[in-house]
Amino acid sequence: MLRTTSRFLIGALAFALSVVACTNDPYPGADQRRKVYYTSFNEAPKSLDPAVAYDTAAHEITGNVYGTLLEYHYLKRPYTLIPGLAKDLPKREKAADGGITYTFELRPGLLYHDDACFALNGKSADGKPLRTREVVAGDIAFELMRVADPKVASPVLRKFAAIKGFLEFSKRLRALRRASPNFAGQPAHVQYRRAGGIAGIKVDGKYMLRLSLSRPDPQLKYWFAMPFTTPVPWEAVQYYDGDEGRPHFRDHPVGTGPFRLAIYQKRLRMVLVRNKNWYGVRHPEWKAPGATYPTEGSATDRKRGRLDAAYAGRPLPFIERIELRLEKESIPAFNKFLQGYFDRSGIISESFDKIVLNDALSPEMVARGIRLEKSVQASIFYVGFNMLDPTVGAKAGDRGRKLRQAMSLAIDVREYLRLFQNGRGVVAHSPIPPGLYGYDRTYRNPYSRFDLARARKLLAEAGYPKGIDQRTGEPLKITFDTGSTSAQATLRYQYFVNSWRRIGVDVEVNATTYNQFLEKLKLGAYQIYFTGWIADFPDPENFLFLLESSSGRKASGGSNYSNFSNPRYDTLYHAMRAMENGPRRLETIREMLAIVERERPWIELFHDESYVLSHPWVKNVKTFGLSYPTLKYLDLAPQQRARLRASWNQPIRWPLWIALALLAAFIVPGIVTFFRERQ
Amino acid sequence: MLAYIVRRLAYGFATVLGVLGVLFVLFFAVADPDEMAIRAIGERASPETYTAWKHNHGYDKPLLLNPQHSWASIGRYTDTLLVEHYERMLSFRFGRSDSDDTPIWTRIREGAGPSLSLTLPLFVLGLLVGAALSLAVAFFRDTYIDRSVLVLCMLGMSVASLIYIIAGQYVIGKLLRWFPISGFDTDPSMIGRFLAIPILIGVLAEFGGTVRLYRTVFLEEVNRDYVRTARAKGCGEIRVMIHHVLRNALLPIITNVVLAIPFLFIGSILFESFFGIPGLGALTVEAINGNDFSTLRTIVYIGALLYIVGQILTDICYSLADPRVRLGAEASG
Repeated sequence: MLRTTSRFLIGALAFALSVVACTNDPYPGADQRRKVYYTSFNEAPKSLDPAVAYDTAAHEITGNVYGTLLEYHYLKRPYTLIPGLAKDLPKREKAADGGITYTFELRPGLLYHDDACFALNGKSADGKPLRTREVVAGDIAFELMRVADPKVASPVLRKFAAIKGFLEFSKRLRALRRASPNFAGQPAHVQYRRAGGIAGIKVDGKYMLRLSLSRPDPQLKYWFAMPFTTPVPWEAVQYYDGDEGRPHFRDHPVGTGPFRLAIYQKRLRMVLVRNKNWYGVRHPEWKAPGATYPTEGSATDRKRGRLDAAYAGRPLPFIERIELRLEKESIPAFNKFLQGYFDRSGIISESFDKIVLNDALSPEMVARGIRLEKSVQASIFYVGFNMLDPTVGAKAGDRGRKLRQAMSLAIDVREYLRLFQNGRGVVAHSPIPPGLYGYDRTYRNPYSRFDLARARKLLAEAGYPKGIDQRTGEPLKITFDTGSTSAQATLRYQYFVNSWRRIGVDVEVNATTYNQFLEKLKLGAYQIYFTGWIADFPDPENFLFLLESSSGRKASGGSNYSNFSNPRYDTLYHAMRAMENGPRRLETIREMLAIVERERPWIELFHDESYVLSHPWVKNVKTFGLSYPTLKYLDLAPQQRARLRASWNQPIRWPLWIALALLAAFIVPGIVTFFRERQ
Repeated sequence: MLAYIVRRLAYGFATVLGVLGVLFVLFFAVADPDEMAIRAIGERASPETYTAWKHNHGYDKPLLLNPQHSWASIGRYTDTLLVEHYERMLSFRFGRSDSDDTPIWTRIREGAGPSLSLTLPLFVLGLLVGAALSLAVAFFRDTYIDRSVLVLCMLGMSVASLIYIIAGQYVIGKLLRWFPISGFDTDPSMIGRFLAIPILIGVLAEFGGTVRLYRTVFLEEVNRDYVRTARAKGCGEIRVMIHHVLRNALLPIITNVVLAIPFLFIGSILFESFFGIPGLGALTVEAINGNDFSTLRTIVYIGALLYIVGQILTDICYSLADPRVRLGAEASG
């Protein structure tokens, strides 16, 4: 017995020792003193192809790996474009035929990051395979042709329709491929050349790119601040084809940004390291606006230390590596943030009341030096009516309009935000969110108020007093089609249903999966839906187009889910789209909003507000409000981080000793009695 | 013995064919390839894109019979999804994932390592702790130690493993700060700290059932004649337990154990998902969420295959561990 007992004790001791030596640090100790930024991701992006990637998670990688011709000023609001890879903002000229051209001039001497694909392009002087090459204007034309390529299936193809010959090129490519398998078997850049390229895109020398538009499109420039228009080397697209162990191009980005993707383990981690070929690193003396920390900003920026002399005018980036770790569940991820192992984090709803008290950080968080940044996202969440529906839609004429107005007045958005968003969000009065041109903070939509009396009155005027159809005597029944069956979402939908029930309107939730919901949208078989829109770029056009008739869901499969169609609105929209910001444009936008206010295709609910927590060692934090990479502006204080992490994460060992002691106290008498009785 | 093994393998093969049939109905007849294409690339793509996708993934053939056949060539007649499904699965050519186009073998190879690094230590430790504890409990039978361990076992068994996971992450990871709350690293110097909580919790969650089962087995043996004989010969109690009782009690333990071995590869869905371990269990969940039919089909198939292999192994181990068990012709004869 003794031998077994002693063995067991030795084992327990060894285990206890390993616990004594334990740590909850998920990172190797060697990285503690380095400027490594830690963040989490919850699912690997579906595609890192800059022509395709269109979600925030993918932009976190593509935005840092792919440089863009234009960028946004980090601190200035309203959002201001600055040159990135381009020498200057594009020149806008009237062409001889009356059309408009934009000319971009690329900075000379830009390089791609080192990559094996460049060996395709020949060998360097010393006979070794080339690892990089200079970025030329043709690479941007190549990427624009990829956006037009139907095989690439870019979600933003139509956004470039104003460029002459853009859609024609897309059609021509499809026809040529169908006609000849030989053509379709060629590498993409050869196909594009043989198809004759896009008429409105002219490359002049190595650095000039000229775009000719068939109609004015002032919003086009914003697309040049997104990775869709980044220079892409044809070598990478040809080389990374998914065969012979090579990854697909969509999993292996090759770009010109401040970072490059060094490790891509979709189910574990993604690591971005500083790109030593980036122009900001190679040529700090250029003081290029996209590679230098800004020197201008608001008084708040100055107060919050975002314009410190230590940073203003300094070359970017400050961080040497970005580590993204997979965290599927939000609770452990948030706990790791609180332990100091992630540098910034949103706030999970489970812990919201502990972190934020009366709209400010709790004393516990303040004591830890954690800071809270709030920003209203350029977004709108709304309940929409299908205007093609005979009851709630346009066909019901004045009755339908009054019904929609009544249903709009019955919803208390403030209460909704309190119940489901921890109070985060700004009540919406129009589709245009704060911070965008055309947003008027004094504007009050008369139907965004919560007014049950007026709602009941309008409902009666619509011919449904207390929800009973006067013509038939039957109760009014409406279905609310939703794209989520989760318990959380169901509660939210139920909130609307209960609100409408208070004025007597009987609405039934018809919850399906997202795919089935999309199918219903396609067939036009729905009455009410709930959805949101997050801006691509800071221009009201990006919201007002959601109600323009040519993007009607039924007609074209577009984003106008309400199938709203109003000739006056359409006319104003087309005029507004072609205008530069100014009093005329503002007047046009106002008139458009007045139509939306009266017709009520939507019940505007709220503009989402994000709360981001940062640890004290993260410097220059400013939330951006658009899906846009800002990590190159951040800095870290690794010493401070290591010190605080160590003080927050001392393992507590005494419960182990107490548990072992209790166990011994419990068992030993039993063993002793047992053997005594034996003898 | 050899004849028995051959017969057992033949039965196993027939079962595999049946499993493949069920899989075919579930994955091709119920969810048709058009729907798979829409789910994989979204509803906005052009008809050509769908056709190309179906062609690339081998979904563009007729389901059961190829109507374009001519009797001259039987090869074309059987050029269908059904035949191809059997062919691919039986020759282990699993093809590419429906959701991200990586070869499924690569995904399985990448997932097996993390899965095994969790399940193998968990399995060995669980077995050792379970057997040792139940032997000790059988030794101290009918004392308060025995009874309190039994109560603990019952308590342990009645708590769902999800509670263990959440409580473990909270207590060990958050409050006591002994180990990272979640995560994984392939670096050998880092892997231990990530696996500590899942292994601790796993052993804790399992030991209730194991100890109760093994204890019953041991107690049954303890009252046998041979034990009394051993005692009469003057063997010490500890020697009796380890050399006589443990050896004779091995049979049911082996059944329990061998059946579990193949599933070590499949990993643990719950643990991997909650601790962020990129193994095959988490891959299964991802495949379900991502409408990745080809990966899911392969995992279900491999799971069934391993189960069948496990059963055959159990039967063979039986005969090795216990000479009383006679197999095949000898048993029936």
